[in-house]
Amino acid sequence: MLTTLLLLSTLAVESPIQKPATGWNFRQHVIPVLTKMGCNQGACHGALAGKGGFKLTLRGYDPDVDYDVLTRQSLGRRVSLADPAASLILQKATFAIPHGGGKRFAKDSLEYKVISEWITDGAAPPSEKDKQVVALQVAPATATLKIGDEQQLNVIAKYADGSTMDVTRWTKYTSTDEGVATVDDTTGKVKMNGAGEAAVTLWYSSRVLYSRLSVPFPNQTTADSYAGFTMKSFIDELAQKKWKQLNLAPSKVADDATFIRRAFLDATGTLPSAEEVEQFLSDKAADKRAKLIDGLLDREEYVDYWAYKWSDLMLVSSRKLNATAMWDFYNWIRESVRQNKHWDQFARDIFTSTGSTRDQGALNYFVLHKDPILLSENATQAFLGQRLTCARCHNHPMEKWTQTQYYQMANLFSRVGIKNGATPAENVVFAKLQGDVNHPRLLKPMRPAPLDGEALALDDTRDRRAHFAAWLTSPNNPYFARSFVNRVWGNFMGRGLIDPIDDVRATNPASNEELLSALTADFIKNGFDQKRLIRQIMNSSLYQLSSESNATNQSDNKYYSRYIIKRLPAEVMLDAMSQVTGVPTAFAGMPTGTRAMQLPDVRVQSQFLDVFGRPARVICDAGERSSDPSIAQALHVINGDTLNKKLSQPDGVVALFQKLGLSDARMVDQLYLSAYSRFPTDDERSTILRNLGQARLVKASPEAMKDARRQAVEDMAWALLTSKEFLFNH
Amino acid sequence: MFRLDADKTVEFCDGYRRRDFLHAGTLSTLGLGLTGMMGLKAQGAVDTSKEDVNCILLMLVGGPSQLDTWDMKPNAPIEIRGPYKPIKTNVAGIEISENFPRMAKHADKYSIVRSLNHTAAAVHDTGHQMMQTGRLFQGGVEHPHYGCVLGKLKGPKGDVPPHVLLPRPIGNTGGNMPHGQNAGYLGKTFDPFVLNSDPSDPNFRVPDMLPPDYLSALRVDRRKNWREMVDRSVSKFETSSDARLLDSTFHQAYTLMSSQKAREAFELHREPEKIREKYGLNRFGQSCLLARRMIEAGVRFVTINMFETVFDEITWDIHGSRPFSPISCYRDLVGPMFDMAYSSLLEELAERGLYKNTMVVGLGEFGRTPKVNPAGGRDHWPQCWSILMGGGPLKGGTIVGASDEIGALPKDRPTTPMEVAATIYKGLGIDIHHELPGAQGRPIPIVDRGVEPIKELFA
Repeated sequence: MLTTLLLLSTLAVESPIQKPATGWNFRQHVIPVLTKMGCNQGACHGALAGKGGFKLTLRGYDPDVDYDVLTRQSLGRRVSLADPAASLILQKATFAIPHGGGKRFAKDSLEYKVISEWITDGAAPPSEKDKQVVALQVAPATATLKIGDEQQLNVIAKYADGSTMDVTRWTKYTSTDEGVATVDDTTGKVKMNGAGEAAVTLWYSSRVLYSRLSVPFPNQTTADSYAGFTMKSFIDELAQKKWKQLNLAPSKVADDATFIRRAFLDATGTLPSAEEVEQFLSDKAADKRAKLIDGLLDREEYVDYWAYKWSDLMLVSSRKLNATAMWDFYNWIRESVRQNKHWDQFARDIFTSTGSTRDQGALNYFVLHKDPILLSENATQAFLGQRLTCARCHNHPMEKWTQTQYYQMANLFSRVGIKNGATPAENVVFAKLQGDVNHPRLLKPMRPAPLDGEALALDDTRDRRAHFAAWLTSPNNPYFARSFVNRVWGNFMGRGLIDPIDDVRATNPASNEELLSALTADFIKNGFDQKRLIRQIMNSSLYQLSSESNATNQSDNKYYSRYIIKRLPAEVMLDAMSQVTGVPTAFAGMPTGTRAMQLPDVRVQSQFLDVFGRPARVICDAGERSSDPSIAQALHVINGDTLNKKLSQPDGVVALFQKLGLSDARMVDQLYLSAYSRFPTDDERSTILRNLGQARLVKASPEAMKDARRQAVEDMAWALLTSKEFLFNH
Repeated sequence: MFRLDADKTVEFCDGYRRRDFLHAGTLSTLGLGLTGMMGLKAQGAVDTSKEDVNCILLMLVGGPSQLDTWDMKPNAPIEIRGPYKPIKTNVAGIEISENFPRMAKHADKYSIVRSLNHTAAAVHDTGHQMMQTGRLFQGGVEHPHYGCVLGKLKGPKGDVPPHVLLPRPIGNTGGNMPHGQNAGYLGKTFDPFVLNSDPSDPNFRVPDMLPPDYLSALRVDRRKNWREMVDRSVSKFETSSDARLLDSTFHQAYTLMSSQKAREAFELHREPEKIREKYGLNRFGQSCLLARRMIEAGVRFVTINMFETVFDEITWDIHGSRPFSPISCYRDLVGPMFDMAYSSLLEELAERGLYKNTMVVGLGEFGRTPKVNPAGGRDHWPQCWSILMGGGPLKGGTIVGASDEIGALPKDRPTTPMEVAATIYKGLGIDIHHELPGAQGRPIPIVDRGVEPIKELFA
C-alpha cells in the first residue's frame, strides 16, 4: 500500500481536477484527499481510537467533526494558518517530519496543493451550502475485453446543483472477482486476468457504483449452439442474452427422470415415489412438466418445505422462545405458506400487528428481538438482504449506508412494547408512545426513518413500525422484492443471481442484472406472489437444463448455462433416506412419522442434521446453513446409526422386498426408481445383479442364505443412498 | 484387540472363502485400493527425516490483553497497568503476569513477540483471518489457513489427515466474516479435519469412527466397492467440485477408519488420568493433550480454538460487561486454563523429544485497550499486542519487539501478521515465495514479496 502511494506521488499524473474560483472546498476536496491517501482509513486515524492522538472520522463521514479536529485541536498545529507549510497535516503526510504512517504524498502532488492552498486561503470550514454528491458515473460502465487487457476507469461525481467533477484520482477501487479482474487502487486501472465477469466497485464520498467488465469465454459458439433452447419467457431470453455475450452455449434439456426428481426436491424437499416416477415417465402429455409443477405447489410437502425455509429466515427456535411461543410462531409461518400469503402481506402481518402473541404468532418476532438494534439489523437482513452491522459504529465502508441512517432505522423499533401475558407463552406486543435509540456519538435520537425512506418527526406518536412496514412493502422499495426473488431463485437454481444470497449490496452486483431486474419487476407487478414466481422459474427452459456440461460451459458456475449441482440440504437428505428405506426418523417429542422438514425447531436433537449442516438460527445469515461435504458426514453415513439402522430395520423396505419375494431385478428397479427417480440402464442392472449374485451363499442353512441375501440388498441400497447421484440434486 | 470370529467362516458364490470379521481391530485390511496409493505417494513426497516440522496453533479466541498477560507495565498508572502483578520467569529479564505461574517456569522454551499490530477494523473476524492466513480477505478471495497450505504442499503423513482442527471451528464473533480456518481458494479438499466434539466430555470419542457392531468388516468393504461401482456409471458429476470433494471425504473417512494408529490417536482414554488432569479437565486442556497425540500419530498441523465464540462465554474478550467477560477471569478461569494446558503441552512435547520439531504458537486476534474502560474491562486494540512462539527451529527465551510505556503502540520492531505467517511457513520448511494457484489459476505468493520471517526467532 505504502509503496504504491509513493509511486503515485512521483508519477505526477495529469489530473482534470481544477481549483474552483471559490477555492478548494473542505468537503469536496480536502476530505476526498484525506480519504484517498488513506489518512482516515480504519487502520490509521479513522480508527475508533484514532492514531497518535489524532482521530478522524472513518473515510471522512463527518466533515464537521474532522474540521474541528484539524483546526481546533492540538493548538492549531495540525493546520497552521500563520505558516501553512508548517501545518502538521502537510509535514507528516509528506514525511518531512517522522510519521508512523509513512509518506502519503509528495510536495509537488495535487494532494499537497489542495491542502496547502486550502489552508493558505483561510481554511474555510464545511458548510450547509457545500456541494453534495448525489451520484457517481463511471466510464466505461460495462466493457468486453480480452485476457491481459488493461482498462482505465473514469469516475465523475455529480452534485446536487448539476455540476460535476472528475474524481477518478480520489476514488477507491475494489474488484469483486480477482480471478477475472484486478484493479490498481491508486490509478483505477483494471487488468483482466481470466474469463467471466467482474465488477470493479467504486467508492467516493460514501457513494458507491460499479463498472462491469467481462472477458468472453474462449469458445466457438454458433446459432446452432442455441437451437435446442426454447424461449418460454423473459427468463430464457435474458439468460440467453448473457450467454451470447460470454460465448456460452446452454446444455441440453434434462430428461424427464432428472426433471421430476429435481422438481420434487426443489419445490417440496421430497423425492417422488417410485410409482410417481413411473407414472410421469410413461405420461405422453406435452404439458406434463407444467402439470407436475402445478401439482407440486399444491402439496402438503410444499408447505412443510417453505415453512421450514422461512422459519430459518425468521430464526424460529426454542433458544429464546418458550416452546408454545415457538409453535405459535411456526404455525403462523406455516399457515402463511399454506395460504400462499403474498410476501408483502407476510411482512406487514409482522410489523403492523399488535396484541397477544398467542392470537398472532407473527408477533413472536419481537419477543425474539427485544433489542431494537438487533431487530433492525435482523429485519433488514431478512427482508432486504442488507448487512447493516458496519454502520453501527461508522458509515458503512463498502456501502452507501451512513451511521446516521443506521440509527434512524434502529429508532423505528425503539417503541415496541412487550408485556407479559396470562401464561409464560404469551406476550402482548404494543406500540409505546415513548422511547428512542440514541446515536452513540451525537448522543441524541435520530428522526426515525427506514434506510433511504422518509423520516418521521421525533414527536410523531404513530406506530413507527407501521411506517417501516409501509416503506418496506412499497412497490418502490428497491430491495424488498429483489431480495426475496433472489432467495427463491437461489433455491431452484443452486446459486442466487446475487451471491451470497442475502448480500444484496450495491457493490455486489448480480451475475445477470437484467434478469434479476426483470424478475423483480414482474414479481412486484403481480403482487409479491410466491407461488407465481416459483411457477415461472420452474417452467422456464433455463430451470429444465441438464447439469451435464458441453464443450463451452464446463467452467460456468454463475450464468446457469447448465443446471448447478447442489448437495441436498441436511433435512431433505435425511427425509429422502427415510423415504427410500421406508423407515421414518424418530425425533424426540414429535409424533412418529414426522419428517425433518416438519420440525418447527432446530434444537430438536439430531446428530445427522448437525453433521450435515442445519442452521442454528441464531443470526440471520444464509451462511448459517452449510452444505459443504465433510469427513464427519462420510463417517456418519458409513458408520453412524442413522442410515445403517434404517437399512436393517425389520419393517424397512429391504425386509419388505424380501417378504414380498421380489426378484433381484425387481428390487434393483425399485431402488433406482425410489432413490434416483429413474430406471437403471441395462449395464447398471446387469452389473448389480452380477454382484448381488456373487454375494449369495451356497452350502448354508436356508436361514443363513436368506440373511446373506438381505444383507447384500441392504448393502446395495446403502451404496445407492450414499452415492453422488443420490446426495446431490442434479 | 485383534479378535477374529473364526467360526464364522462362510462360503460365497464367487468361490472365495472369507472370514467374516466382526471387530474393528481388523479394519486395517480395508482400503488398500485408493487409500494405500495415496499413503505411498505421500510417503514418497514427504521426507520423514527430522527436518519435517509440525505446528500446533493455539487460537486464543477473544484477544488476550497484552497488559494482563505477557507484556506487563507495572510502572504505568493503575488505569493502565490493571489489577495484576508481574512475576519473574526462568529466563533472566523476562517477566510475565502472575496469572501464569507455570508458564513462568518454561520461558526458555518460548519467545514473546511484543510488537504485533494490525491495521484492519478492530473486530475479531479480521484478526482471525490475518493471524491464521497472513492476509485480510478482500476482493472475494478467501486465503488458506497455514495448516491447509501445509497439507496441500506436503500431503498427509501416514493415514491421518495433515491438518486437524480442535475442538470446533470458530463460530460467531460478531463480524459475519470468514475466520480464516479453511482452505479458501485452495478448495475444500484441503480444509482441516474438524473434530466437532468436546474432548473433555467423559464419553468423548470421534463420532462414527468405527463401524457399528452389527456391520462386519466384510460388509463395510463391500459397501465401499459397490458405492464406487454405482457412482462410476454416471459422468455428470465430474465437473462439479462439490461432487469431487464428496468423493474425497469418503476416501479420507475410509483411510481414517482403516488405520488403527489413526483411530487410537483420537482415543484420549488411553492417557493416564494423571496426564489428563495435568492439562486441565476442560475443553481446551484436553484439546491440547489430544493435539500432542495427533502430532505423535503424524498430523502435521493442529489448530486449537480455545473458545468458539465471545458471547455468553468466559473468554479472553474482557470488555468487562455482558455478554462478554470480566477482567477477573484472567485470574479465575481463562488464565489458569491456559497456563495449565500450555505448560503441560510444552513439558510433554519436550520430554518426548517432539518439541524440537513441533512449533507451538499461541496467539490472539488483537490486544486490548491500554486504558481500563469504565466497566473495568479492556476493549479491542489491534495496534499492539503480544504472541507466543517456540518449538521446532524457533528460539525460546527471547523477547522480540517492544511496546511503548503503556503497551499502546509498538516502540521497537513493529511486527505484522504477515511476518508471523512468514515465520510459521519458514519454520515449517516452506518456501515463503512459493506461489499457490488462486482463482482461475492466478498465482498468489504464500507471503508478499518484501515480507520476511522474524529473523530474531531463528538461530
